[in-house]
Amino acid sequence: MTAKKWFLVVAAASLLFINATPAPAYASSTPYESYNYNYWEEAVPAPAAYVPDRVISGKELGVGDFVEPADMVVDDNGLIHVVDSGNNRIVRIDEKWQVQDIIDGFSNDGKRDGFKNPTGMYVDGDGMMYIADTDNGRVVVLDKDGSLVRFIEKPNSDILASDFKFAPLKVTVDKAKRVFVIAQGMFEGIMQFDPDGEFIGFVGTNKVQRDYTEFFWRLFSTKAQKAQMILFIPTEFSNIDIDAKGFVYATNIDPGSQEPVKRLNPSGEDVLKRYGYFHVKGDILYRLSVGPSKLIDVKVQNDGMYSVLDSNQGKIFTYNDEGDLLYVYGGKSNQAGTFKTPVAIESVGGNHLVLDRGKSNIVAFKPTKFGSKVNEAVMLHHNGEDKQAVPVWEEVLRLNANYDIAYIGIGKSLLMEKRNKEALQYFKLGMDRDGYSVAYKRYRREFMKEHFGNFLSVLVALAASWFAFKLYRAVSRKRKHKLNRPSGSGAQNIGEGKAL
Amino acid sequence: MKQDFIKFPLHLIVHPFDGFWDMKYDGKGKVRVALFILALVVLTVILQNQFAGFLVNYNDPRYLNSLTQLITIVFPFFLWCVSNWAITTLMDGEGKFKEIVMATGYALLPLVLIYVPMTIASRFMVQEETAFYYLFHSISTIWFIGLLFVGTMTVHQYSAFKTIVTMALTVIVMGIIVFLGTLVMSMMQQIIEFIVNIYRELTFRT
Repeated sequence: MTAKKWFLVVAAASLLFINATPAPAYASSTPYESYNYNYWEEAVPAPAAYVPDRVISGKELGVGDFVEPADMVVDDNGLIHVVDSGNNRIVRIDEKWQVQDIIDGFSNDGKRDGFKNPTGMYVDGDGMMYIADTDNGRVVVLDKDGSLVRFIEKPNSDILASDFKFAPLKVTVDKAKRVFVIAQGMFEGIMQFDPDGEFIGFVGTNKVQRDYTEFFWRLFSTKAQKAQMILFIPTEFSNIDIDAKGFVYATNIDPGSQEPVKRLNPSGEDVLKRYGYFHVKGDILYRLSVGPSKLIDVKVQNDGMYSVLDSNQGKIFTYNDEGDLLYVYGGKSNQAGTFKTPVAIESVGGNHLVLDRGKSNIVAFKPTKFGSKVNEAVMLHHNGEDKQAVPVWEEVLRLNANYDIAYIGIGKSLLMEKRNKEALQYFKLGMDRDGYSVAYKRYRREFMKEHFGNFLSVLVALAASWFAFKLYRAVSRKRKHKLNRPSGSGAQNIGEGKAL
Repeated sequence: MKQDFIKFPLHLIVHPFDGFWDMKYDGKGKVRVALFILALVVLTVILQNQFAGFLVNYNDPRYLNSLTQLITIVFPFFLWCVSNWAITTLMDGEGKFKEIVMATGYALLPLVLIYVPMTIASRFMVQEETAFYYLFHSISTIWFIGLLFVGTMTVHQYSAFKTIVTMALTVIVMGIIVFLGTLVMSMMQQIIEFIVNIYRELTFRT
């Protein structure tokens, strides 16, 4: 009877308990999982930095579906240009998602001319449009009203093979109106043209990595076999962008490369800062069946931040100017806010836009509180206002206590304020050994200065006591010696005899 | 006590030829001292992994395990002793197993003597000074290998060249022992599984 009673009580209690449990709180609002890598090379869950805001297709804009759109660019006025390759047109959209106009042709010597499979575009500060008109083998330069300025066509140069086909894919322009073009099959690097469209030369060649096993096999193969082996040629660049200082950012899709993102200075050297925990290469950990990130677009934003787009897993990786991975978001699936074949990333007014060729639409992402706080702190740090960045970093840490960059940021600010001891702690939390070393060096010097008197007194006291001890021993031994001498010599001999 | 545990080991590490000779022929070495030094090495390595300064300590504190560290030191130690004994028995070595354990144990002493102060000092170092930390670590390793060399040479009464060959062979034998060990393990596993399967078959039949 009692057993039954007990059972009932327990059952009732458990029922109560089930009802009392709140609805699971893990239902995330994003269709992807956000994470970041910690110092120990582990992917740690993190709050989403950007969430999908809306998805826009060509039909919704009232211009008919996009067909295989290949590129998207936002000009200084916030006007979005979509390169609708399959329809051979450029669609211009303002920030309120109203179509401004459609450029599908231009007047060339009085005749109507059009594009043939355009795949890249750039709009410079004056509103001049540079369109990589791929199948026509030319770059079309239009002014902001859409009338033709000039063509950049297949260059005649000694360093180019005469039978090569000029098929520009991506294009960007610097402040001096130099034009950088990525062309199909151009392994030598990025083609550079002067403002008049004359070919200057190449910048930023990708290096071929030496493969030692291949070298080993080559030692043992015959000439005929060698001829059958694949040639090792450098990979092409996949996309380019330019920052406010005129440095060209370029991505490539070389799967084995540790440096798929490059920042090229005017003489073509890679000057990207890579001070983060890991290489600037997208995912650090990945399944072998999935493979490494394939970076196909890069967008430089304000304050030295840049985002790269991984077409392999549909993720966007954002780095700061020092090469720290700030956040990762995005994914591939059929849900709204994810991608099928993402091809281009842009940023407009703090939001990110991603063009998806597979779904023929644009996904707009807006920053969450976490994302915007990180952006703000990075901006403050970049502008040298580290002290103002501290409360922002603290806010970031409240949202994500695993965010190492925030600890390092606070540490750097404390270091600047000469609060070295506190800085030590933050650098340790952020696993920043260089910062820690600097802070410790200063702290140690301060400590020594402060306690120099104490150190010296202890040292003198120690030396004095040691001296006194020595003296005491010497004196007492002498006395013993004196006392033992008359009768002691015989005893000593006996003792020695025993020992021997 | 003081003679066995402090004076003689300290004498041995700075006068290895004398020391190992005394250890072998004058009976000054004690196995328990060697094992005590081994225990000290385990302790110092554990302390070093846990307490070395942030700038030189690249261990992930979440995965530090004293038992694993104990095994990774004690197991190779005895593996070395057994392999060395096995190989020197075939190569006319004069050393007994006890002497090999003693020689190896005493040779470990520099590790203890250097690791402990360096662990403490590393906590007060900045990046530029960590070079000294690594320098002293290298010194202790070289010292240890030198002592092991002299110890092996003296214990077995070998020439220098033969000692080097023996030491190299010992390392190979260590590998063979580990290989055979894993082989036996996996065989045993399969045999046990086989017997269990037969048992199961029989129980299901009836």
